[in-house]
Amino acid sequence: MVMGAAGSKLEKALGDQFPEGERYFGLENFGNTCYCNSVLQALYFCVPFREQLLEYYANNKNMGDAEENLLTCLADLFTQISSQKKKTGVIAPKRFVQRVKKQNEIFRSYMHQDAHEFLNFLLNELVDILEKESNATKTSPEASSSKKLANSPNHNLPNGTHKEPRVTWVHTTFQGILTNETRCLRCETVTARDETFFDLSLDIEQNTSITSCLKNFSSTETLNAEDKFFCDKCCSLQEAQKRMKIKKPPNILVIHLKRFKYIEQLGRYKKLLYRVVFPLELKLSNTISNADSEYSLFAVVIHVGGGPNHGHYVSIVKSHNHWLFFDDENVEMIDESAVQTFFGSAQEYSSNTDHGYILFYESTGGRS
Amino acid sequence: MAASSSAANSQSPALKTYFKTPEGRYKLLYEKSHPAAVPHHSHGRTVSQLTVAYLKEKPPNQNSAAPSTSSSSGGVRSAAARLLGAGNGSRALSFVGGNGASRGVSGSSRIGGPAGASAGSSCSQITANYDGKGTYLIFNAADTLFISDLNSHDKDPIKSIHFSNSNPVCHAFDPEAKDGHDLLIGLHSGDVYLVSLRQQLQDPGRKLVASQHFNKEGVINNSRCTCLAWVPERDGTFVAGHADGNLYVYEKSKDGTADCSFPVIKDPTQFTVAHVKSSKSNPIARWHICQGSINSISFSTVGTYLATVGRDGYLRVFDFSKEQLIFGGKSYYGALLCCAWSPDGKYLLTGGEDDLVQVWSMEERKTVAWGEGHNSWVSGVAFDSYWSAPNSDESGESVMYRFGSVGQDTQLLLWDLVMDEIVVPLRYHPPGGSPTYSSGSHSAHWENNNIIPAGTLQPSPSMRDVPKLSPVVAHRVHVEPLSGLSITNESVVTICREGHIKIWVRPGHGESNRSNSSSDLAVSSSAVSKDRVVTSSLSSSSIKGSSSSSKQHSTVLFS
Repeated sequence: MVMGAAGSKLEKALGDQFPEGERYFGLENFGNTCYCNSVLQALYFCVPFREQLLEYYANNKNMGDAEENLLTCLADLFTQISSQKKKTGVIAPKRFVQRVKKQNEIFRSYMHQDAHEFLNFLLNELVDILEKESNATKTSPEASSSKKLANSPNHNLPNGTHKEPRVTWVHTTFQGILTNETRCLRCETVTARDETFFDLSLDIEQNTSITSCLKNFSSTETLNAEDKFFCDKCCSLQEAQKRMKIKKPPNILVIHLKRFKYIEQLGRYKKLLYRVVFPLELKLSNTISNADSEYSLFAVVIHVGGGPNHGHYVSIVKSHNHWLFFDDENVEMIDESAVQTFFGSAQEYSSNTDHGYILFYESTGGRS
Repeated sequence: MAASSSAANSQSPALKTYFKTPEGRYKLLYEKSHPAAVPHHSHGRTVSQLTVAYLKEKPPNQNSAAPSTSSSSGGVRSAAARLLGAGNGSRALSFVGGNGASRGVSGSSRIGGPAGASAGSSCSQITANYDGKGTYLIFNAADTLFISDLNSHDKDPIKSIHFSNSNPVCHAFDPEAKDGHDLLIGLHSGDVYLVSLRQQLQDPGRKLVASQHFNKEGVINNSRCTCLAWVPERDGTFVAGHADGNLYVYEKSKDGTADCSFPVIKDPTQFTVAHVKSSKSNPIARWHICQGSINSISFSTVGTYLATVGRDGYLRVFDFSKEQLIFGGKSYYGALLCCAWSPDGKYLLTGGEDDLVQVWSMEERKTVAWGEGHNSWVSGVAFDSYWSAPNSDESGESVMYRFGSVGQDTQLLLWDLVMDEIVVPLRYHPPGGSPTYSSGSHSAHWENNNIIPAGTLQPSPSMRDVPKLSPVVAHRVHVEPLSGLSITNESVVTICREGHIKIWVRPGHGESNRSNSSSDLAVSSSAVSKDRVVTSSLSSSSIKGSSSSSKQHSTVLFS
């Protein structure tokens, strides 16, 4: 595909509807780096994330002595895209990919990589860098004040033992809190343990919906027989009921479909081609507050291929009410109704191998 | 859970050929399909839809061979033809309660089971001229429209109509059409064809014959024609819904498309109706209803009200002749995909991408219950117009409705609804019993149901505020996601996205086939439900879903 031609074709397709100030750039593939490209496009069109990153770049660009890291490389890449004179085209994320390979040897080989693992790695790296920077700039008085807080009676909660983590803009964008509630069936005491998450990994079944997978995720599980629960109040192993609830819904809800499953009989991973439908609008109803937080789908990372060890990643992204298809350097406009072609296969022998793998929903702020 | 890989187009061994309901067993009577020549994945985006067509006897003034009414063969029998219009809620045309008087003979040559009975084999010859009555299944797959005989055991369609330019995507049938032009077909290109079903059956070719062509090559609207409906009691008027949120009103007596431009839609968020000036042109009006696709439409039984559902997640109910929005309301989330009226016009069903079946009250102008039970999107809903409540004689007050729904989870669900139970708010406890939840705090809010002002669109209610229903039966009927259902007086007909159809015969009908005794058959018309006493234990044992929630709500099903 000729790069220039692809660009102008998209511009023609959008015509005067081309969003003001927006850039649609394909990303060059450096040998099996589609896992990276597909995730980068989804993150670029995650507007709160992009804005924070561009702001970070703007604030740090004059620090010439600053060491290069994954965060600066990503900020640099996003700035490069957003400041292009042309509206469409192709960019080579060379420095960023080199940095990823330098940082983590898993991604160094030319083998097929998992896009979800990469997203996880990237977000955690960014958090580490931001936390280090914030630690370095913050002065000691603040650190001691947080110690004082830790000794205050407010923190004498049964589940208040964990250290309050620093909140970076990655956290405010992606982090949600899950509560693992366990109810002892003897004394009825409820033990709640909080866990933070950047994404929800959901088990999937054939011909189901994301709604159904989320329901299963937070369905009540009974702990009994070999798997009893040690109740602190009863001081013994007891039968209990366990369930996961969402305590704090994230601003950006990332849902990972567990399509790669280890099959014991085969001794290897297998890709589940199941058809799992995902709506363009979603609500989380399994929240503690009982407020139904509302989301809208804006990006999907798609795995193309029949198996876990080979294949291709592409992404679809919603920007200014248009859906775009990103396949490395190619960018195309697609109809909203084309989203449903990535649901999966209703039967196993299907030749359709394009499957939604990571879903990105943004909060619309609606609480009903 | 995974579908068997060997189950290509054949019956999957994992799928049962019957399901139990409180009133008895529904049995798989026939399967209908289309030639496997249709490439399996060439038509990923064309979803098969189903229309049940009750074709009346050819009027005597038209010359024809002798009608085969005296024949003992059942091939062309659906004696209650004119009474069956409301079987498919979305195409309700002329509902009359109760069973047809001549129902008794219709099952006499049915093939009862896989072994088959030889009596049915002669039917195809008798129906060959198609002058008699018949009940036909019209369905689309890829670039072809298929017609099958509902009452024949033949799996293959009796007629295939090929479309070379664009795929057929929707259809509607008018059993009351005086001129015989009764079948509407909508294409992906936006084109709409009107033909005579009988003429298609009688023509040996693979092309549409003697058709009237509307919106030719999408000249008026080039977005997909998503749904079609005849306006009941208004001979020759029909509407076509499109993927861009517009709906057009046509009159078949007018053919011309000359000077048929509509003004530009200024505000796409607003409902507007535009009429054409010329009295000759077709369509005669454009209703701009919503942004995004209109996914399904349904007229109330006598055609007073039109319901639409669409991509924006709203159900809208219009007074059709006044061209006014009566009320609208939103899904829990996501698009709505299907809708259907109750035979008495008091209730509406919708299904959509929130996996819920919603029950709406016309009187209260809002959602009155949510049916939870599908594990994926709900693609078809229909009231059972032939259902009579087992306890209606005793209490007199509680009106019970039976309805069905199908989903992309490959399941058919049947539901019961008792209205006095719904009006009184249920004490809803979330499954699993959250310790932080205090019950009863919200029911006051629910009781405070002021009548919603006319013409307004309601936002979606909160999950905890709406009473929940659980299905009476949940049965996996196909290996592929389902796309529609139709409930006739004898059976429930399900269709999957790939265009495979199953006909589930009601309890009583299947048994009478097996006994093959004509005296049984005469009884069976009234025996559909009344002879079967429903006990409360049956209802709770057959409820599927999470144990805690179904126990809580079993009172909804049978008071």
